[in-house]
Amino acid sequence: MKLLKLVVAVIALLMPWVTVAQDRPAASSQPIAIAGGKLLTVSHGTIENGVLLIADGKIAGVGTAGSVKVPKGAQVIDAKGMTVYPGLIDPETNFGLTEISADDETNDLLERSDEIMPHMHVADAFHAETDLIPVARLNGITNAVVAPASGDTIAGQDLFIQLYGNRQQMMLGNDVALAMNYGAEQRRRGGRGEGGKSKYPSTRMGLITELRQTILDTQAYVAKRDAAAKKSDAEFKRDLKYEALIPYLKGERPVVIGVYESYDVETIMKLAEEFHLKVILNHLTHSQEVLDEIAKYKVPVIIGSIYDAPRANERYDAVFSLPAELAKRGVKIAISSADAGGPVSSHSSRNLPYAAGMAAAYGLPYDDALKAITLNVAEMFGFGDKLGSLDVGKMANVVIANGDPLDVRTDVKRVFIQGVDVPQVSRQTKLRDEYK
Amino acid sequence: MGSYKLPSHSFVRLFAVASISLAVCAAAASGQQSASEDIVFKGATVMTASHGTIEHGAVWIHAGKIAGVGETVSAPQSAKVVDAAGMWLTPGIIDPHSHSALDGDVNEATSPVTPSMHMIDAFDNRSADLYRALAGGVTTELLLHGSANMIGGQAVVIKNKFGLDRDAMLFKGAPGSIKFASGENPKRVYGSRDQLPSTRMGNFEVMRMAFEDARHYMAEWEAYNAKVKKGDKDVVAPKRDLKLEALADVLRGKLYVQIHCYRADEFLTEEAIAKEYGYKIRAFHHALEMYKVAPEIAADGTAIATFADWWGYKDEARDAIPWNAVMSMRKGVRVALKSDSDDHIRRLNSEAGKMVHYGGATEDEAIKMVTLNPAWIIGVEDRVGSIDVGKDADIVLWNHDPLSNYARAMKVYIDGELFFDASSTGWGTTHFTGVMHDGGDFGSEDQEDGQ
Repeated sequence: MKLLKLVVAVIALLMPWVTVAQDRPAASSQPIAIAGGKLLTVSHGTIENGVLLIADGKIAGVGTAGSVKVPKGAQVIDAKGMTVYPGLIDPETNFGLTEISADDETNDLLERSDEIMPHMHVADAFHAETDLIPVARLNGITNAVVAPASGDTIAGQDLFIQLYGNRQQMMLGNDVALAMNYGAEQRRRGGRGEGGKSKYPSTRMGLITELRQTILDTQAYVAKRDAAAKKSDAEFKRDLKYEALIPYLKGERPVVIGVYESYDVETIMKLAEEFHLKVILNHLTHSQEVLDEIAKYKVPVIIGSIYDAPRANERYDAVFSLPAELAKRGVKIAISSADAGGPVSSHSSRNLPYAAGMAAAYGLPYDDALKAITLNVAEMFGFGDKLGSLDVGKMANVVIANGDPLDVRTDVKRVFIQGVDVPQVSRQTKLRDEYK
Repeated sequence: MGSYKLPSHSFVRLFAVASISLAVCAAAASGQQSASEDIVFKGATVMTASHGTIEHGAVWIHAGKIAGVGETVSAPQSAKVVDAAGMWLTPGIIDPHSHSALDGDVNEATSPVTPSMHMIDAFDNRSADLYRALAGGVTTELLLHGSANMIGGQAVVIKNKFGLDRDAMLFKGAPGSIKFASGENPKRVYGSRDQLPSTRMGNFEVMRMAFEDARHYMAEWEAYNAKVKKGDKDVVAPKRDLKLEALADVLRGKLYVQIHCYRADEFLTEEAIAKEYGYKIRAFHHALEMYKVAPEIAADGTAIATFADWWGYKDEARDAIPWNAVMSMRKGVRVALKSDSDDHIRRLNSEAGKMVHYGGATEDEAIKMVTLNPAWIIGVEDRVGSIDVGKDADIVLWNHDPLSNYARAMKVYIDGELFFDASSTGWGTTHFTGVMHDGGDFGSEDQEDGQ
């Protein structure tokens, strides 16, 4: 009897695992040929009636019909009338850090105890089973940067994910970038005015001084640490905050700076250049006055939200046309799915391609728009050789849709991530099918 | 500097723009020529919203009304011809749920029953929100009270004639609407103060108590009127009570009832209370779970004004699915899309386009969700919402299929008069002069919930 109970218990324990395993197919060893579709390669133009070959989770061939040898026994997917393109990459999300925005118990968006929190690792909090990820994946989002919310001057370190697999498989890169912010939102944290917390820093002067001091302290820490290492000083105590900053001060990894206003851009870039930070500018929606200066910085820019409100006396399309204006000046751009008013949640990550379409509607060349949500993002975050285009040797993150990927009317039919034909299922499709 | 931004430091350019706008204004004022002249749009893809799409169609407008529509029209020789070849022509976009141009005065959240509030009192006709909506092709808006209260205030219907004075922007003859709400918002607002209601039980009992008050008030007046009729000269009239009169108007069916609620169970409870007290619900707003109970609600004739694909921002939006609109429509519910956002109001056309993607709406069905169906919800479907002879000439010309996010509104006409022209420099407005007022913050989720 006891044994029976134990067996039942073991089976019960195994059941969820079995279910998950059924829900989550692995890559097939059989090669897959997607044939007859229009291939948007992103890196080398459009191929009509193309063939894309997938083997061992990688892209093994790209070209016109006839130019790609399809091995015997390959699964052939007819993509006539379809568009085939690389998986989309959202450069800023909160995937796995939030579930229901208004329910704070479900949020791990920001450590609010201090403004300087480089030792917060998004990877530690990442909730891989979030409902948000399959919802976005259904619309062809295959990869994303997961960042903390923007309330801190230094909010923590970003995680780079793919939107399928077990947790370990999904986490393609921990601590890929430092999430920084500068401007009015961070200043208000100090609680100026009546009833405020009157806590330093409460002004832009305070924010910049605190940041500069932090960098100097880190440099002093490194000097002390190196000196201690030479003396093999056992008493030296590691400081996780300073340790976290070191690779960024060495310029080894990018610092993503969220900044809205033109004069804030100029201030923060002075500091960034002084300390040779490898900058990616983010949230630049109200910097129309300094676009030429931004081009001179030679740093990439993430635009988000493209739906932010223009100033009261600006023309209605002042933000819609920002990607085009930056691209015209030779700036490498990415576009994020952030909602108007700031990157509040990632429930709308599935609308990423439409934000790029909006940029195209307001003057951004089509190829640049597609690149801004694929290859450019991959390159900014160190995945340019693995993701973002249909090229042999890259991860087989591939989407098949029934039309132009940037148009709201288009329906995504299939999504491959590292060669896995991921079922088009989410909590939402289950509800849809239940009430059909 | 972006090439489109108005250089506010440049007096010369600003003055030039202002002068042109003034000139247009003067022309419009002197005998309304621009509205009364005959205009014919030729060669457009005409999406009528009521009777399909006409390729290379023509629309004739006369005296601010649509006078003809078809492959050809019999307009007088003198009519001004607008070559619209390669463009799309639709009715003006109608938003049945907006809190624009109210400077944040959305909720009188000091009592759960405030039916005597009138949104017109907060209406700021110089708000940049209106301008940006106009540039997105929006010609009619229902400006609603927020969702803090079970029974909120009375809405105002506007025509987006941006640049005209307040009275000229009101939709003349539109019926009155009142906003109700249930669920998390009233629970949170009053529950956090340890006041009634802090639960859904409390939500609905607050409504019943209010209607009991209204019935009593109506009975007092009936008794008084009966005595007066009998010739009783000593009888004293009951006190007029603005709150109870508004509630009585609900019970008399004089106000369209527009209800903010999310969950399937709430639709059913709201319908039961409406039947208990004898009023009709015009539309559920948000209604993200309508797909679960659509046949029941279709039988009651209540419409919905919903989002295309917002979800997950609060617990009662957890079961939202982007197929809600089309699934509900297929089960017989009249479906409109709405903005509830100063951002989304600028692109309701492509929100409708998403319905082609989610559930396979036809283009006709999709365009109806942002024109004719919201017109019905507001109660102005005989006046606007489709390209039909006799309707107001509220017309948008687009450079691309309006259901695509590539589409830009190029020209917007209201009552036959041009109010927005994207090809002109500066703002593109034809009537506005002076300084725009800053719009509200763009809420990314259920804007009114911020209150």
